[in-house]
Amino acid sequence: MRLFLREQIPLLIIYGLQLVLILGIYRLAGFQNWWIALYAALLSAVLFVGYLCYRYWSLRSFYYRLTFPMETLDESIRDRGGNPLSKALNELLKTQYQHYKGELHHYESKIRNHVTFINQWVHQMKTPLSVIHLTIQDEDDPIFDSIREESDRIGKGLETVLHTARLDSFEQDFHVEPVRLNTVVHQVIQENKGLFIRNRVYPEVYVDETLTVESDEKWLAFVLGQLLTNAVKYSVETGEKIVLSSWMRGPHAVLQVTDYGIGIPKKDLQRVFEPYFTGEHGRKYPESTGMGLYLVREVCRRLNHGVELTSKVGKGTTVRIIFLSPVPPVPLHESKEGLR
Amino acid sequence: MSTIMIVEDDPKICELLQSHIEKYGYQTLVVSDFERVIDYFHENRPDLVLLDVNLPSFDGYYWCRQIRAVSTCPILFISARESKMDQVMALENGADDYITKPFYYEVVIAKIRSHLRRAYGSYAMQAEEKTVEWSGLILYPERLELSWKGQTAHLAKKEAMLLEKLMERSGRVVSRTRLLEKLWDDQQFVDDNTLNVYVTRVRKKLKELGIEGALETVRGTGYRLKATWGEQG
Repeated sequence: MRLFLREQIPLLIIYGLQLVLILGIYRLAGFQNWWIALYAALLSAVLFVGYLCYRYWSLRSFYYRLTFPMETLDESIRDRGGNPLSKALNELLKTQYQHYKGELHHYESKIRNHVTFINQWVHQMKTPLSVIHLTIQDEDDPIFDSIREESDRIGKGLETVLHTARLDSFEQDFHVEPVRLNTVVHQVIQENKGLFIRNRVYPEVYVDETLTVESDEKWLAFVLGQLLTNAVKYSVETGEKIVLSSWMRGPHAVLQVTDYGIGIPKKDLQRVFEPYFTGEHGRKYPESTGMGLYLVREVCRRLNHGVELTSKVGKGTTVRIIFLSPVPPVPLHESKEGLR
Repeated sequence: MSTIMIVEDDPKICELLQSHIEKYGYQTLVVSDFERVIDYFHENRPDLVLLDVNLPSFDGYYWCRQIRAVSTCPILFISARESKMDQVMALENGADDYITKPFYYEVVIAKIRSHLRRAYGSYAMQAEEKTVEWSGLILYPERLELSWKGQTAHLAKKEAMLLEKLMERSGRVVSRTRLLEKLWDDQQFVDDNTLNVYVTRVRKKLKELGIEGALETVRGTGYRLKATWGEQG
């Protein structure tokens, strides 16, 4: 309504001026009867208001649309009113919508192709990596240790790429079930034993053997792998341990990974979970991609786990995963039966 | 002797696997025509099949079903795909196990052995008990025994593992990293200090047999087992 009135302001002004002008001319021509003149003005005004009312009534949906922004893209193609102006607007929005959708589809399929390509490429790269891996497995020369280390690093990198690419189709790729925390922890440590041994940093595990949490085993293992990689990377040359422990915070299980490494500067703490953020360490450790903790947080968010991080420079870093949907613990021997 | 059929389209992996599996006393059979996997199977009747998922023309799942229709022999998948879905697919198509690339020889061998044992009974395996022999010193890693000139010493599990590695590469230096990796298992993580302890224990066991100074420390690198005793004693 307001928009409509604002739109009509020039017309109102012109109409007022016209009225004054016509009355003025009548006056100059010698007509002295005010009542007739006023009557004519009133009649004209009534017609004018009638016109405005009609106009408003027929265009009200048009104005309504212009006043209130659309909430979804699909709203723009909803048909409203049969007024020519309204129809023209509909046409315009419809074509715009079509172009827009077309473009979106185009990019969507582009992204999909790209993700497929990345997936395939990573899997292709695994074959040469396996060949390198197998070829050097029985070699003892110190140089092969270094090659082994680098090939492990490539393997890790490929894993991260794969998981990042998969993050978008997460819903199709995860399956929440009771997971024995201790088992996952040991499995991930086993997978990363090369990393620990090479860096002379060793794990200490105090995770309750009977503790079961609701999670996706594969993604949880990935998250833990990222945390351990970080913990080891930033504890090198301190000769310290990495402590993995579990405890209950009220109804929720908490898994804690503590290192006694270099820690994170206070000013970086707020931003460590941002993608591509590497902070001060990124400049010292060229391997930091800034993706590790970002992926950790993203995966945890989707699994409904909380993540907490505390750190002190020179003292070390503690990361906690809080499992927000607990399941009652299963007796140890029973689940072993179930695994078979 | 068990025959293992390898169906893998990457020639290098195939060759490496083949030579390694043969080292453990198995016969291998490599499929070269991926259109006729099932024919190879029929012609040779292998005891176990190692199957890649990504193959030209038909995939591994297809061949797994084909083999399953005629045989119950163990089928192990080897694949670069590591998602849960792929593993479930493999098992549902009749596979017995799933190994992801990149993999360790030890894992492959261990799985082959365990599946053969399970499928054909343990008696077959006992005949093929693993022994490591070097200059008259014989290690039985499965029995946890070390014997020399008719004398026998009993070893703890980790001591046997340590000796196995050292004897396999006797005369050469084995790096600490490698020994640590070997000893490190699912439940127990071995750090440098623990390794020192095990080395001391192994030296003691060797001494029990009358062997001294055979296990040398190579500074900054690792350890070396030298035949100080000689063949004739």
